[in-house]
Amino acid sequence: MQSSRKLLVAFLAPATVLYTVFLLAPVSLFLAFGLMRYDAIQLFQPVLTLANFGRIVLDPFYRGIILLTLKIAGLTTVCTLLVGYPVAYVLASGRSAWRGILMFLVVAPLMTGEIVRTYGWIVVLGSEGLVNRFLLALGIIHDPLKLLNTQLAVVIALVHILLPFMIFPLISALASQDPDLARAADTLGAGRMRAFLEVTLPLSRTGIMVGSLLVFTLSAGAVVTPSLLGGKDVQMLGQTIYDLVLHTLNWPLASACASILLALQLCFVTIQIRANRRALRRS
Amino acid sequence: MLSAEADLANPASLALQPDLSVRSGGRTLRAVPGTLLRLVVALVYLFLLGPIAVIVATSFSSTHSMAFPPPGLSFRWYGEFLRSDNFTSAFRFSLELGISASIIGTFIGFFTAYAARRLMERRGGVVQSLAMLPLLIPHLLISISLLLALNFVSLPDFASLLAGHVLICTPFTVAGIIASLDGVDAQLETAAMTLGASRLTALIEVVVPLVAPGVLSAFLFAFVVSFGDVYIALFLAGPGTTTLPIEIFSYVQWESSPVIAAITSVQIMMIVVLGLVIEKLVGLRRIMRV
Repeated sequence: MQSSRKLLVAFLAPATVLYTVFLLAPVSLFLAFGLMRYDAIQLFQPVLTLANFGRIVLDPFYRGIILLTLKIAGLTTVCTLLVGYPVAYVLASGRSAWRGILMFLVVAPLMTGEIVRTYGWIVVLGSEGLVNRFLLALGIIHDPLKLLNTQLAVVIALVHILLPFMIFPLISALASQDPDLARAADTLGAGRMRAFLEVTLPLSRTGIMVGSLLVFTLSAGAVVTPSLLGGKDVQMLGQTIYDLVLHTLNWPLASACASILLALQLCFVTIQIRANRRALRRS
Repeated sequence: MLSAEADLANPASLALQPDLSVRSGGRTLRAVPGTLLRLVVALVYLFLLGPIAVIVATSFSSTHSMAFPPPGLSFRWYGEFLRSDNFTSAFRFSLELGISASIIGTFIGFFTAYAARRLMERRGGVVQSLAMLPLLIPHLLISISLLLALNFVSLPDFASLLAGHVLICTPFTVAGIIASLDGVDAQLETAAMTLGASRLTALIEVVVPLVAPGVLSAFLFAFVVSFGDVYIALFLAGPGTTTLPIEIFSYVQWESSPVIAAITSVQIMMIVVLGLVIEKLVGLRRIMRV
C-alpha cells in the first residue's frame, strides 16, 4: 500500500502547485503592497507604512465607498434570501415531475455569466425598456422613470445574478432535514406556520449562512454590474480597486482597499458564526 | 463551509430520486406548497428568466433602438455580429481559452478529487475545502494579483489568463468529480486491487470508465465558467487576448445596440445546449454544490 499512498500524494501535486504559484503567492504579494508607500514612478517604495489604511479610514470619500458597499451588499443579501427561500423550499420538497426542470432553470441563467445578465437589465430598465413601457401603457406614469444609473438598478441586477448562489445551499440544508420533524410539530398542534418558523427555518440555518456568505462576498466585490447599471451615483469598493489599479496606478492604496474588502467578508463570517452559535445555545 | 452540502455529495439525495417522489402527494408537510407559495415561486422564476428572454427578443429587432418590445423583426444584428471582426475574434479567443482552461482544470480536478476521496476521511475533507479556495477570494483580487506578479516574472499574456481561468474552474471540477466518485462503489476498486491490479491500473480500468460522464460534465461546466468570466480577464486581457465578455463590457460602457443582444443570444443558446448535455449526463445540481 506504500506505493499507492505515494500515488495519492503525487495526485495532489498539480493542484498544490497551481494554488501556491498562481493564487497564494500572488495574492499575498498584492496584499503586502498595502503596507508599502505609494510612489508615482516606481509603483511603490519599500517603506513600511500604515498610511494607506489611514487614508481609507480618515478620508470621507473612501469611508463613503465602504458604507455604500456595505449597504448594497447587505441589501442584496437580504433580498436574495427573501426571494430565494420560497424557491428553495419548493424545490427541496420534491415534486418529482417538475423538480428537475425547475432546478435546471435556476442553474441555467447562472451559467450565462454576469455580463450577459447585466446587459439584460440594461434592456429591461432602460427609458424605452419593458418596465417603463409597461407602466406608461397602464397610465401609472406619464414620463419614463429613471431606473438605470441608480442604486436600485444595481441591487435588482445583483439579486438576479446571485440568486442561484443562495438557492443551492438552501436546498441542500432543507433537503437534508427529516420531514417528519415538521410534520410532527404540525400534528402536535403547532400549525403549519409555526411548524415552519420553529422547526424548518431554524434547521435550515447552515444553508442561510453559506448562501448569505457567498452572496455578500460576490456582491461586495462586484465591478461590472455597478459600473454598467449604477452610473455616477454608485461607487463601490470593487470599482474603486479597479480604478486605482488601472487608472490612478496607485497599487498600495488598491491593495489596502482589497484588504478592507476581505476584512468586511471576514466580519460577515464572524457575525454569522456568532449568531449561529447563540441560536444553537438557545434551542 | 462545505460540510453543509455533504448530503449532496451523496448520490442518494439527488434530484428526481425515487424516494422523494414516493413521499410527494401530500404525505409530507413540506410537499404541500400553498397557492400563495406557488404564486411567489412563479414570480421568482419570471424574475430569473425574464431578462434573458428579453435579450433574445431584442436580438431580433429590426431597428437600432433598444426599445422593448422591438418594433419589427429581423436577423440583421446577427449579420452585424458575424461581420464585426472585434466580436468574432473575441468569440473565437474565448472558445480557445475556455477549452484549454477546462481541459487542464478537469485533469487537475480529477487528480485532486480522487486523492481527496481515497485519503483518510478527515484529510480528504480538508483537501476538498482547500480546493474551494478560489471561490472564496474575490476573483477581482486574483486577477490583480496575477497582473502584479507579471511585473516580476514575465509570462505571455495568454499564459496568465489561462492560469487564472484554470484557477476559477478547478473548484467546480473538483466538486463535480468528487460527487461522481461518491457514486462509485469503492469495493470494485478494492476487488480489482485484491485480484492483483495496481492502484493505477485499477484506477484507469475500473474507476475512470465509471466516472466518465461525471468527468465530461465537469469539463463542460468548467468551460461555461471560463467562457462567462469577466473578472479574471478584466486585468489580464490585452490586445489579441480579449475575451468576449470583456469586449462586450467595453462596448456597453459607451453605447448600446441590439448587436450585443445578438451576441449574448448566441452565447445563451450555446450555454443552454451545454447545460442540457450536463443535465442529461449527471444533473447540473451535482456540480453546483458550492
